Amino acid sequence: MPASGIRFAVTALLEQIVNGMMMGAIYVLVALGMVLIFGVMEVLNFAHGVLFMAGGYLCDVFVVHATGSYPLAVVLTMVTLAIVGMALERTVFRRLRVNLPMQIVASLGLILIAENGAVLLFGPSALQLSVPSVRSLVRVGELSFTVQHFIIVGATVVSIGALHVFLHHTRFGTALRATSQNAEAARVIGIDSASIYRITFAVACALAGLGGALLGPLFLISPQMGDLPLLKGLTAIVLGGMASIPGAIVGGFAIGIVEAVSTLFIATEYRDMVVFTVLIAILLMRPWGLFSVRVRGDA
Amino acid sequence: MLPARTAPLLSGALFAAALYLVPVPFAGYPYVLFALTLTLCYAIPAMALNLLLGYTGLVSLGHMGFAGVGAYVTAVLMKHGIASFAPSIAAGTLAAGFVGALVGVPCLRLRSHFFIIVTLAVGMLLFLLFNNLDWLTGGAAGLPGIPRPRPLDLGFAVVDPRRPVGIYLLAATVFVLVFVIQYALVRSDFGRSLAAIRQDETLAASRGVDVFAHKLTIFAISAAIAGLGGGLQVVFLRAAAPQSFGLLEDINLVLIVIVGGAGSLFGPSLGALLFVALPEALRVADAFRMVLFGAALVALALFAPRGLWGLAAAAARKLRSDESAVARVGHS
Amino acid sequence: MQRLASIDHVPVVLGEVCSPAAAAEAPVASDYSIPLILTVPTAPDLTKQGNSFLFRVNADTDQLNEALAAYVGERHLSPLSFIAWNNDAGRGGVNGMKALLPKDIAIGYVGYFDVGAVDFSSDVTNIRKSGARAVMLLMDEEPGALAIRQIRDAGLDSQLMGTLAMGSDRFLTRLDAKYLDGMVQYSAFPPSAPLPRIQEFGKAYRARFGEEAHGFAAQSYDGLLLAVKAMQAAGTATDGAAIQKALSGISFDGVVGHIQFDGDNQAKPPVYITQWCKDGTRKIDFPANLKSECGAG
Repeated sequence: MPASGIRFAVTALLEQIVNGMMMGAIYVLVALGMVLIFGVMEVLNFAHGVLFMAGGYLCDVFVVHATGSYPLAVVLTMVTLAIVGMALERTVFRRLRVNLPMQIVASLGLILIAENGAVLLFGPSALQLSVPSVRSLVRVGELSFTVQHFIIVGATVVSIGALHVFLHHTRFGTALRATSQNAEAARVIGIDSASIYRITFAVACALAGLGGALLGPLFLISPQMGDLPLLKGLTAIVLGGMASIPGAIVGGFAIGIVEAVSTLFIATEYRDMVVFTVLIAILLMRPWGLFSVRVRGDA
Repeated sequence: MLPARTAPLLSGALFAAALYLVPVPFAGYPYVLFALTLTLCYAIPAMALNLLLGYTGLVSLGHMGFAGVGAYVTAVLMKHGIASFAPSIAAGTLAAGFVGALVGVPCLRLRSHFFIIVTLAVGMLLFLLFNNLDWLTGGAAGLPGIPRPRPLDLGFAVVDPRRPVGIYLLAATVFVLVFVIQYALVRSDFGRSLAAIRQDETLAASRGVDVFAHKLTIFAISAAIAGLGGGLQVVFLRAAAPQSFGLLEDINLVLIVIVGGAGSLFGPSLGALLFVALPEALRVADAFRMVLFGAALVALALFAPRGLWGLAAAAARKLRSDESAVARVGHS
Repeated sequence: MQRLASIDHVPVVLGEVCSPAAAAEAPVASDYSIPLILTVPTAPDLTKQGNSFLFRVNADTDQLNEALAAYVGERHLSPLSFIAWNNDAGRGGVNGMKALLPKDIAIGYVGYFDVGAVDFSSDVTNIRKSGARAVMLLMDEEPGALAIRQIRDAGLDSQLMGTLAMGSDRFLTRLDAKYLDGMVQYSAFPPSAPLPRIQEFGKAYRARFGEEAHGFAAQSYDGLLLAVKAMQAAGTATDGAAIQKALSGISFDGVVGHIQFDGDNQAKPPVYITQWCKDGTRKIDFPANLKSECGAG
């Protein structure tokens, strides 16, 4: 291959790795929420995508109508979504803990309410939110990225760190881990599972909202913006192990990078097929994921 | 009261008769026939999914993918004039069943959460294949221009599927056929084993039921019937498009079965009526109606897991038990 | 369509925005002898199915692509890349364009995306890798704005080429003028062109709606008046078959130009190429006799 050809290929690879890290960070935020909910409550929350979407819309509302400051709007979005999450847990998901088909029906109902509610409130056209970090560019050699790309990765890393501190260095976090390992035993030693479930949902939904608030200004804010992140996040937690937080992190970044780099070799419209094929392959070969331990009954 | 055997047979025969008599008052209303034919087309994959979901306890989130396999095989054969209707749709049904078996072998050994996710992924993969394999499926634009079956001379009448009445009668016949198959399967020993598997797999296995073989068989049959429904649908609409077999349609089908009433014979048909005929009657469901509908789904999940048919059956039971309680006491 | 035909008993149907839906509706129009007049969908083979009840007022993709293909050839913009919708319109547009390009133009990267996709970073990387001198964007404004912004933000300076929807002021609400500088697109209706029929329509439109007139609006307006003229010529407002006959032979001067249907019921309105200037105005680049300065496109 001529030298310029190699240079082109390396540049392309680097560009896609950066893009992949960025989208991977978004998938990680979604996956973390889903893995927390599943690990602690054994609930598969298909509505996580619309919570992500709600984060995007709320952030837009806060920036345009409330504060004008993007960072403040993001914080407000996370807080609001935490509250929404607690409400959802109390009213809908707590009752459905053992009933998987009904979890799906309820999630689908929530998706319909949220997506159509967004259309009613904001119209069917997507919203554009312009923030300084998207307008500013960073040059890396001949490549160029928005500042937002790096903010997304940075915010995700910070969230991972914060989550780690919460889970391993606070009483509540330890109680949460205990509940996810063995809910019965946790209750026996006096842990109040009701508040654990509430907090789990609050944290998970706040993370989803953060994802939406970060991705929204970069592209568009639309009612369907959470659909694909939901599926990719689901793939990430299957890849990493459905109750494993490190698994969700590795899985999310892996999916992001693999799907971005794959477009250098196969047609872009097959990019989603790559992810679903990976999902099916993992389920058929190692359904308990890369980071979990095989438990009897897992297959 | 009629003996237990004949009551269902009688009501079944009455129902089928009613189905065939629909064109009599509605012959001059092609739009009504259109809506009802579309409902029948959706009821068939719904009954297929019901066999899996309602009777065996397997939640398949990608089932319209199999309908799509049947649909595209039928469409390609008929559009290019390779075969007439009956062999084309038979090929579609067999192809869908074959793909179902192929998918079932590796996937059925996964337990509930994983099985749901893998069926979702398979459904999405099939959709992406329909959407991107341009040379075979016409890609995102689909395959328009599928011919209707040729008229059939029955001696006392000619049924012309190129006209609304004819295609409706064809759809009704396929529907009745599938309904009878559903009934026969559910009432057979095979069906009873499926119910046992749904309730407690380990227990069923310990009683000698080959769980995997049963699951694979019903999965393949269910996929085949879904394929039959798909083939009928594309012949009716005269066009095959990948959107008819994508994620939204997968979800729609699950809702049709669960809201209608999973695990009952008539539930899927009721669901199809609700999800297909009603929106046509109300014309495109707008955003506000969909919000209400979403709320109804959440309420259903929380309070009425047996679906609308289940609610109706429970209400009927309650009425009967009230009556018999009154009868026993003598007076209220 | 079923409902309009069999329950509402309309004599003529105007409209349909997307080509696959139009393809599905056309047989119904023929079944019920109701003319269907299209004013927006551009898929070429809509009017090649031999359906005498389907009429199209607007130019199809082949007609639109001709001028742009000549533009590419003259400036030797090789290699040429595409980003297109993954549907009939997109694929048809790419294939149609490829067929019209001169032989010495190499095709770089061709990327398809599903409707609703927002992330074009893979396309950007592949375009950069192919060294493309021009990128043709076969999509409408919403993804178009995203694609253009991502292409320019990534530091690519290839010549941008767009479609109908990208040639009006409405596009500026989505995108800063600095991103559009230099982009060309084909157009059936340059809103600021110095032609009386366009100027009059534009003035009236702005008075009524408070914004610049749009090509789709002009085409649909013409479609409506065309239907009225046909009904007058046929002397009926209910007989679909008679209206169809009147339409076949009609000769009509609309806002978009002279409308007359050929054997396939396809009209051949004029096609232009406009180019964006740095300050957010446009100029006409083709046809040569209408070439203008910034502000008249």
